[in-house]
Amino acid sequence: MRGGPGFWSRTASEALRRFGPLLALAIMCLALSLLSEHFLTVDNLLNVFRQSAVNALLALGQLVVIITAGIDLSVGSILGLSCVLAAMALKAGASPAAGLLVALGTGAALGAVNGVLFTKLKLPHPFIPTLGMMNVARGLALVMTGGFPISELPGGFRYWGAGTVAGVPAPVLVVVGFCLLFHVFLTRTTPGRDLYAIGGNRQAALLCGVPVDGRLILAYALSGLMAGAGAVVLAGRMNSGFPLAGAGAELDSIAAVIIGGASFFGGVGTVLGTLVGALIMGVLRNGLNLLNVSAYWQTVVIGAVIVAAVWVDVVRQRAAGSRS
Amino acid sequence: MTGGRRRMAAAALAAALALGGCTRGKTKKLDIVLVTKALDSEFWQRLKAGAEQAAAADPEVRLAVLAPEREINIDQQVAILEDQVLKRVAALAVAPAGVAEVLPVLDKARAAGIPVVIVDTDVPWPHRVSFVGIDNRLGGRLAGEYVLRAIGGRGKVAVIRGVLGVATQEDRLAGFREVVEKAPGVQWLGAQPANSERALGMNVMENLLTRHPDLRAVFATNDQMALGAMEAIAARKLTGKVVLVGFDAGREAVRAVEAGQMNAVMAQYPERIGRRAIEEAIKAARGRPVEKFVDIGTALVTKQNAREFLR
Repeated sequence: MRGGPGFWSRTASEALRRFGPLLALAIMCLALSLLSEHFLTVDNLLNVFRQSAVNALLALGQLVVIITAGIDLSVGSILGLSCVLAAMALKAGASPAAGLLVALGTGAALGAVNGVLFTKLKLPHPFIPTLGMMNVARGLALVMTGGFPISELPGGFRYWGAGTVAGVPAPVLVVVGFCLLFHVFLTRTTPGRDLYAIGGNRQAALLCGVPVDGRLILAYALSGLMAGAGAVVLAGRMNSGFPLAGAGAELDSIAAVIIGGASFFGGVGTVLGTLVGALIMGVLRNGLNLLNVSAYWQTVVIGAVIVAAVWVDVVRQRAAGSRS
Repeated sequence: MTGGRRRMAAAALAAALALGGCTRGKTKKLDIVLVTKALDSEFWQRLKAGAEQAAAADPEVRLAVLAPEREINIDQQVAILEDQVLKRVAALAVAPAGVAEVLPVLDKARAAGIPVVIVDTDVPWPHRVSFVGIDNRLGGRLAGEYVLRAIGGRGKVAVIRGVLGVATQEDRLAGFREVVEKAPGVQWLGAQPANSERALGMNVMENLLTRHPDLRAVFATNDQMALGAMEAIAARKLTGKVVLVGFDAGREAVRAVEAGQMNAVMAQYPERIGRRAIEEAIKAARGRPVEKFVDIGTALVTKQNAREFLR
């Protein structure tokens, strides 16, 4: 490939980035359908979607941040706090719609705080403010509930996590809806495209007149918002706002984005890839569950997939670099 | 290079296939699945061993034992249960990681006609065919009575507890409090959570000893936390001066009691719990009458009787 004509190797490299994850997902589904008679059934595929929904929502937010060459370690904890605050509001008599707003608002606000800490306080890397937020939000969730889960939420609120529309689980529709919104935002709007520019080269973006700080704050706010959306789905699904909700979820969301072909160096990543990344993780867990493989092995396999996905990215980049 | 990702994905799957392949069988079997809160401690391992004994006694039964990585991964346990419900297994035995959080999936099991035996941690779900476990409140009370005797009824007492909102933990704490909190000479310091994990148990104990150097007694609501607390106590050379009582009576904890590093531990009989749970699940799967409540019983293990719990 190194000696080949630039056009073809560029095309192959692009195709790999674009469709590699999808291909991997297809192969996995094929293999699992051969291994378990239960895998390729409508019920189970909806099941996979439902189980992947929270991770997919968090990963969408994480994608926006990773495109700017950032990282958001706080999404799992923000999910936990949003979950708890919404449940408390509902228990205090708030309507389901108000509960929804509390969850989304909490998420977006805490995300915006991350963005402000990073840009205005000039903390050296988004790792730092979001690591701080990860602890603060988790701590607050535990403090506010005394550690107890708040269960038995009203049906209207649970709809987004547990309801169905014409047989399709509501969380699936939530994921599809947000995917469309994020796709349009990232590819068709100026702020969205600015995020790629910032991730590609922050200094250059600044010189081109991109309001970098504002865009970054927006990116972290969106990531927080998606944590709030994840909280609504998870709380509905589990019928409980529990303070440990989303523990470790930040790493799963980062994994989904990376498996989905986004570059950790920023500037690259698609909504479709990220959705596929989340589904790959969901399909692996579900398939291994159906085969009665222990959760420990699932973790091993997912770890291997993450490393493999990034390795492919590195090799691809090196090939691209050697051409120019 | 184009196929690199594909190859890696295939390799990852191949690993999965190798692991999963052995669980497939052609003959019609009675599929029973036990889902525990975790498998990361001796308690769950022994419960699993008991379950496997019961399954081995019946050639038609095929048992799988699954669990999330850690006790706090409630959503992972729910996903495992959903997948088993989808497979329409013959019966489920579940030790719920979260009491309210598993209710929706238990309802799904019921809708699918799968009988559910609740193990270890009871849930307010009237459709369970059986509960197999111990009276945790009684266990807490017995631990409380022992602590009062050991400290002569005077001094500061604290509790290190597991995940909040889980019935086993609440009941052990409630039983202990009933006896200890109101005792006239006792200064009650309350309960601090350590998620049933050893490392956290050690941290919490270190903090307690820093804050209250005159602490007289600690009740940890499971062995793992008690063993962590034991290390913290030993590091300060306070072994024997701070009364330490655990819960579960795993071999490591019983050996610690025998060696005098821990004062006492409440016994559970995890093999018996696992065996009885699967026996009831098999009965339920065959549509036979099932015992509604199987009380396995508990007992106090001290240096005097530790030896019989090590057999």
